[in-house]
Amino acid sequence: MSSDNPRQEIYDSTAPSTDTREARMGAGPDDRFNSKLREAFGASPFILTKFDQFMNWVRGNSMFMLQFGIACCSIEMIHTYAIKHDLDRFGAGVPRASPRQADVMIVPGTIVSKFGPRMKRVYDQMPEPKFVVGMGSCTISGGPFQEGYNVVKGAEEIIPVDIHVPGCPPRPEALIYGVAKLQERIRNGETSPVVVKPYELEQFGDLPKDELIQKLADDIDEEDLVMRYNWADSP
Amino acid sequence: MSTELEPQTPEVTENDLEALIGDRALRRDDHLNAPGFVIRPDDVQDVLFDLRDEAGFDHLSCLTAQQYEDRYESIYHMKKYADPTQEVSVVVPTSVDNPVSQSAEPVFRTADWHEREAFDLVGIDYEGHPDPRRILLPETWQGHPLSKDYDQEQPQVVTLAEHANPIQPDHHDEESDTMFLNIGPHHPATHGVLHVKTVLDGETVVDIDPDIGYLHRCEEQMCQQGTYRHQIMPYPDRWDYVSAGLLNEWAYARAAEDLADIEVPEYAQVIRTMGAELCRIASHFLALGTFCLDVYGDFNAVFQYSFRDREVVQDILEDLTGQRLMFNYFRLGGVAWDLPEPRDEFIEKARDFLDELPAKISEYNDLVTGNEIFQVRCNDTGVLEPDLAKSYGCTGPVARASGIDYDLRRDDPYGYYENLDWDVITRQGCDNYARVLCRMEEVEESAKIIEQCLDLLEDWPEDDREIQANVPRTLKPDPDTEIYRAVEGAKGELGIYIRSDGTDKPARFKIRSPCFHNLSSLEEISEGDFIPDLIASLGSLDIVLGEVDR
Amino acid sequence: MIEGTLIQAGDTVLLPERIGDLTGLDQFGLAGELLAAFLAAFIVGNLMLAMTGVAGPWAKRKITAAFTDRIAVNRLGPAGLLIIVADSVRLLSKENIIPENADRPAYDLAPIVVASSALLGFAVIPMGSGIHLADPEVGLVFVFAVAGIASLGLVMAGYSSANKYSMLGGLRAVAQNVAYEIPLVVTGMSVVIFTGSLQMSEIVAVQNQPLVDFGLFAIPAWFAIVNPFAFVLFLLANFAEVGRNPFDTPEAPTEIVAGYQTEYSSVYFVLIYLGEFLHIFLGGAIIATIFLGGPAGPGPEALGIVWFIIKIWGVFLLTQWMRSAVPRVRVDQLIEIGWKGLLVLSFANLILTAIIVGIIQ
Repeated sequence: MSSDNPRQEIYDSTAPSTDTREARMGAGPDDRFNSKLREAFGASPFILTKFDQFMNWVRGNSMFMLQFGIACCSIEMIHTYAIKHDLDRFGAGVPRASPRQADVMIVPGTIVSKFGPRMKRVYDQMPEPKFVVGMGSCTISGGPFQEGYNVVKGAEEIIPVDIHVPGCPPRPEALIYGVAKLQERIRNGETSPVVVKPYELEQFGDLPKDELIQKLADDIDEEDLVMRYNWADSP
Repeated sequence: MSTELEPQTPEVTENDLEALIGDRALRRDDHLNAPGFVIRPDDVQDVLFDLRDEAGFDHLSCLTAQQYEDRYESIYHMKKYADPTQEVSVVVPTSVDNPVSQSAEPVFRTADWHEREAFDLVGIDYEGHPDPRRILLPETWQGHPLSKDYDQEQPQVVTLAEHANPIQPDHHDEESDTMFLNIGPHHPATHGVLHVKTVLDGETVVDIDPDIGYLHRCEEQMCQQGTYRHQIMPYPDRWDYVSAGLLNEWAYARAAEDLADIEVPEYAQVIRTMGAELCRIASHFLALGTFCLDVYGDFNAVFQYSFRDREVVQDILEDLTGQRLMFNYFRLGGVAWDLPEPRDEFIEKARDFLDELPAKISEYNDLVTGNEIFQVRCNDTGVLEPDLAKSYGCTGPVARASGIDYDLRRDDPYGYYENLDWDVITRQGCDNYARVLCRMEEVEESAKIIEQCLDLLEDWPEDDREIQANVPRTLKPDPDTEIYRAVEGAKGELGIYIRSDGTDKPARFKIRSPCFHNLSSLEEISEGDFIPDLIASLGSLDIVLGEVDR
Repeated sequence: MIEGTLIQAGDTVLLPERIGDLTGLDQFGLAGELLAAFLAAFIVGNLMLAMTGVAGPWAKRKITAAFTDRIAVNRLGPAGLLIIVADSVRLLSKENIIPENADRPAYDLAPIVVASSALLGFAVIPMGSGIHLADPEVGLVFVFAVAGIASLGLVMAGYSSANKYSMLGGLRAVAQNVAYEIPLVVTGMSVVIFTGSLQMSEIVAVQNQPLVDFGLFAIPAWFAIVNPFAFVLFLLANFAEVGRNPFDTPEAPTEIVAGYQTEYSSVYFVLIYLGEFLHIFLGGAIIATIFLGGPAGPGPEALGIVWFIIKIWGVFLLTQWMRSAVPRVRVDQLIEIGWKGLLVLSFANLILTAIIVGIIQ
């Protein structure tokens, strides 16, 4: 399951996934972060900037975490919520069991081939805007289990991660620092999750949404679809 | 040790065993820990039935599967609950072309999961197995990763059609009134990433099927790639990651030390014993806390208090080992370093913790075990009868709460436990409440042990503090030596099987995880109960997925 | 009527009339009255929403933290109070996910039903200081009736989400509410035996008479003091009605994820969450009104609303305490306690009260 060698026989291109992303988004600054409203108003009008700042302040100061335990790091994560470290001081200590009500997903542990799709599903179930904190070495690279036949080499192969907290496991202080850093970045408007905003769908022309989905679904040939456990080479 | 000796089962000598197995033994294949008998693949049930019923080997401790150049081999490690020092290994070789062996499931229920795992990872087929599916890897996985010809580089690609999606709404049975429910792998009460396929009739659990493997981190492969001396030791910490690190490290240390014939200095044994019991306390606190999370709801006080108390234990362990959770403190032949300087301060700190412990435990008793609603919730739910527990290979607090007096610290002594004064806790309740109480009382026993260790350490003569034996830089045990050794981990019997091939890395490293066995009994104890009882039973089994899946 | 005049039971001046009077709206006939009523409802509604706003994101966390030796929010504004703004705006600004298979009108209506049913109940509660929207003769029955509508909302939410956990939660919620609504109402009726009236203002007025007069101070005839047994019964049934420990089975997070609210996000989640807190406060308001003398308390009458809010918060605090320290009962035990325990006890209480009252009179 190593992803060191991209597999020619599956995909023609051996270019790493970043290439695909660049091709999709074009070079230069990501224009997805500029709203239509802003385009219409020209340069940054005062009221929008203030509103953006306010929303950043809001999102950066309060977040519901997803109650999500995977492996060793989840023990330290619980310690972070619990008495001594008390993550709730930063307005980030309410774990919600349902992904529908969560903003931040702390990924605390090793992701293996069987769990990868499930984690992606949970991530997909969270409403926008959502953020991910990768906790521990396993979510960075697979950590001590990197060479395992079954281990996904980092959470970023499956979902976008905003903050990586290294350590095996990171101390609760480190996780708090990671969450505080995430909040700081959100407050400064530096982090913007990968969001599919409605206007990205423009390229599909004037099709209403449902027809669009139908059209895309029709394009898929179910025989060709593959389920794969090596995420790195996925486009 | 003060525990009175229970009536010992009669010692079964090797001659008795030879006579019992008779012609069915093709040859002997002795292991360091036990006599081994090689039998034909179609004699498995026969021989195991005889061993269980005639010779009293009622504990199928572990099943190791492995591949040699010329054959596959399944090894049934058998013990007695009454006296675990009496062991016997049944070795079943099968050919490479047609690796089919008879299933032992009719004899021991625990063989069910074990043989599924052997099929999954090594590729041995078991004839007559009731449920021959993969257990750890996804159903659509190609190849058997611990077999010789497995190519890790091969792409694992399957078409979508082949890949069954368990969340697909095709589980609805038009005819019946039951409902299929996936509990997990992401669910607040599964203590990690366990997936329980549940069939419900209203609120009643009709059928469950625990689906594990969501945290299968290839621990056995990792250990087979590491050198004995240093590279394996960090991994045990990550099996049972609930602060039980030192207990796990001891499992590996004990097996490897016996394999390479290393004598551990007494001083190091005392430190090991103390550290291990601290780990046990931390682990049992977590078990209590998370169980209350299941029964009380989130953000309850007991859960938070138990984590407050764990912090104290973790602080002490951090002083001792340098890490909060993944200690990596044991070395083959001893421990990494002596108690931290200044010693007095450390000992004082540990004593302070022990002094405060009785008050804390009585607080827990007030809040939890004395609470009438809690008692109503936990009494007579999740009942695990002793016979069933034995058949499933349950050990640790789960077995002891079912009245099985089985504790390796006393029955198969290692470390410094023999010389200390403590008791094995057993309870007859067999239910969730008994399991919780059993853990709480074990915390007190552990505190007793630590107290005595601290006294010993304080008075230990300064010029005799040898923390590590002299161990060669590169350990290369004799080729083809095999050993299976177990210690009493936080959750039960944690065993390690190692086969050496003359190099500095083990040829086969098999972990016998107590949680794996305890979890397999979930099906039995929760069917017919309500969903809340299923959740509570799961909590009281105190599983750690890192150890279940390895 | 002039502002600040003492309000006597029986001839209460209700808030809409007073507003109509003050603003001169009552000169415009029916339309004016309607407008005044809307204004009054607006004030009361916002008062209650503001209280939930404080309770939900902030007070609840602080209280739980106090029970578990923690601090909770303290970085944002004084004592973390600004978290209220941050949390509510953030929740409202989130993406609202509607499951594909959701039963649309029901799915959308459920949160509104849950929240509004609780708000409606406050209409007949006399809150002191002249804040009292309506005083129908069947006030107590009205409160129980509208609070009961919440069960409909919960079962709608559970069924329409197309999620099995929601389904289980909805079923549990409705089973629980049905089982505990009867003891609740029956216990409430034992109070009516004392008062002889269902009118809220009447119930409050009866309680304000002194039970024992020591000259310097008098113990008021609060029904919690007159009949503590009924008070405890009512409190218990109320825990089940609002779904808090030991009866928080409908959303039991460790069993069925989040119960009926599993699929709700963003605005809908806020509404359901608000609805839950409103129901706790409504429960508190009913308890305060029929057992704790409503807005009665030391000091001038104008302080009535303060006393009233303190009493409501007292009940709220109790629910949070239970949440921290009491285990949840199993769903079958819950039903058993409801049908075999509380129901019998509440009828026993009713009959005993009737006999005693009959003898006394």
